[in-house]
Amino acid sequence: MTITPVTIAFAVLAIFTLGGGLGVVSSRNMVHAALYLVLALFGVAGLYVLLEAPFLAAIQVLVYMGAIAVLITITIMVTRRIMGITESVNRQWPLAAGIAALVAVTLGFVVLGLFNGLLPVADVPPDNIEQLGAAFVSHQAYLLPFEVASVLLLAAMIGAIVVARD
Amino acid sequence: MNLPTLESINLAASLPVLILAGWACLLTAIDLFISPERKHWTAWLAVLGLLASGVALGFEAVAYSQRGAVSAFGDMAVVDGFALFLQGVFLLSAFLGILLALNYLPRHNIERGEYYTLLLFTTSGMMLMAMAADLIVVFLALELLSLPLYVLSGFAHPRLDSEEAAMKYFLLGAFASGFLVYGIALTYGGAGTTLLSGVVEALVGGGPAPNPVLAIVGMGLILVGLGFKVAAVPFHMWTPDVYQGAPTPVTAFMSVGAKAGGFAALLRVFLIAFPATGDTWGVVIAIIAALTMILGNVVAISQSNVKRMLAYSSIAHAGYVLVAVAAARYPEVEPLAVSAAVFYLLTYAVTNLGAFAIVIALERDDGTGVEVEDFAGLAKTRPWLAIAMTLFMLSLTGIPPSAGMVGKFFVFQAAVQASVGDPLILTVTIIGVLTSVISAFYYLRIPVMMYFRDGEGQANVQPALGVALALTALATFLLGVVPAPFLQMARHALLTLAG
Repeated sequence: MTITPVTIAFAVLAIFTLGGGLGVVSSRNMVHAALYLVLALFGVAGLYVLLEAPFLAAIQVLVYMGAIAVLITITIMVTRRIMGITESVNRQWPLAAGIAALVAVTLGFVVLGLFNGLLPVADVPPDNIEQLGAAFVSHQAYLLPFEVASVLLLAAMIGAIVVARD
Repeated sequence: MNLPTLESINLAASLPVLILAGWACLLTAIDLFISPERKHWTAWLAVLGLLASGVALGFEAVAYSQRGAVSAFGDMAVVDGFALFLQGVFLLSAFLGILLALNYLPRHNIERGEYYTLLLFTTSGMMLMAMAADLIVVFLALELLSLPLYVLSGFAHPRLDSEEAAMKYFLLGAFASGFLVYGIALTYGGAGTTLLSGVVEALVGGGPAPNPVLAIVGMGLILVGLGFKVAAVPFHMWTPDVYQGAPTPVTAFMSVGAKAGGFAALLRVFLIAFPATGDTWGVVIAIIAALTMILGNVVAISQSNVKRMLAYSSIAHAGYVLVAVAAARYPEVEPLAVSAAVFYLLTYAVTNLGAFAIVIALERDDGTGVEVEDFAGLAKTRPWLAIAMTLFMLSLTGIPPSAGMVGKFFVFQAAVQASVGDPLILTVTIIGVLTSVISAFYYLRIPVMMYFRDGEGQANVQPALGVALALTALATFLLGVVPAPFLQMARHALLTLAG
């Protein structure tokens, strides 16, 4: 196996992902755990880029690293009882370990199956982002919903500000 | 990739909606430069937008009478008589909604420019709903209709009942939207397309590999989602609390606009996309209609708060329109039933906005003064108000000479035609007539209170409110005595398949 820039990038991203995941389950402070989760999600986004799935990568950054990470952080901050937790293992750990093992086995089966040629590798059209973009502005496709969604988001934003402001 | 041309988008046909949505976006920015003491300028600018949209709508109606229905934005929207008529109703309701709010907001110390921009946003959502010919557009239009209304119902915060109303409306509304989206997803899974014209092809058997079971389950979920918006039993739970808690001008606009918007989607989706499964949904909607009329009218009897009573009355009126929807599943009755439904929505709009205008006139600055007892003696102190309120109550009951009577007559006429060979519709029609009689009991309690009880009868009619009152009272009376021209318009309010 030759070492190419892609291999190095993969290794770094894999360390980010796994290290982040490890940090989530091992850190005693919930806020730190949430930050580690962001790191792990960032690693996954990078892996999507390596897999030539830029759309998934962009969505991963926008939705998971942006919205969901913020949501989790805010939830932790407004829930005082969670903030006070310091032990990293609670009584439900055998259940969690069992589910984690099950997921690991399933994923392992799928990944090894891909390597051994048991499962077909999905064929992704290379220009799917281009098609998506074209569909958004094509009058035959989704021009109207696209525009309406923009107006809707603007209205929602104004509404949120009206509700929040005193 | 072919670039869109003006012809293929058919920009002219969708101009009324585009003007209103665009003006709402612009007004958001303009409002920032209007000082807090002059927020009524924003209101008049919003009225200007409604007027411009109305002029475009007028041109479009003339064009429609010459060339018939056209589709716009590919097949995503269709501009037909149905869409044009309801868009007119929405513009009128929004105009009256602004007039009702103009003096109310400063009096209650909740005047902010966003009120008017949000009102324009929700109106453009309603207008889009009337012309939506694709399930995705239906969903987006419904959200554009709902989101500003959630905010508007909480506009009087930190008044607790207003916050409660917004919270309840938002949570239950989001839940209902979930049903709608899930229904749309299943319909897409069953039919392979979200275009209404494509769904009907797939269900009738022309499309590739249709899955009717998925589509029928999807149809049911869509019915739940839209049933919430029109406040049909058993999806009406939110209505009384939200109507009572929201600022009264919002309640007035919401009871009219959101309901008509929901019915626009309900009629178009079910009659255009699902005619093949009419046996299934026809029965379900007929039963829902019966339950809605019974529950709305019976529970309204025991209400002492007029806003709450009008909320139950609004549930009951949804039931009458649903009778027309159920009748419309027979192709030979469909034109009559659809025009009956939209005409009913028009009569309900002017009457209900008028009734709420009176409630606003009576409401004190702390939000009290809206009990039935507060109407006592109004005939002596404010005779014109008493006459107008009597007219509105007669119209809501369906007694001549009023708009409501013509609307009800039209709906029952369609239902009787459909009931030939359909005992269920016949039963529902009889229930409708009986519950109308029951409704007289609680509606006419208010005129009795005004004319035969002694009381202080305080009211505060400010100029804009007076104009709104005069307009609605005149419209209610005219629709009742010379309905012919409006009926003629409603007869042209036909649904057309996109294309």
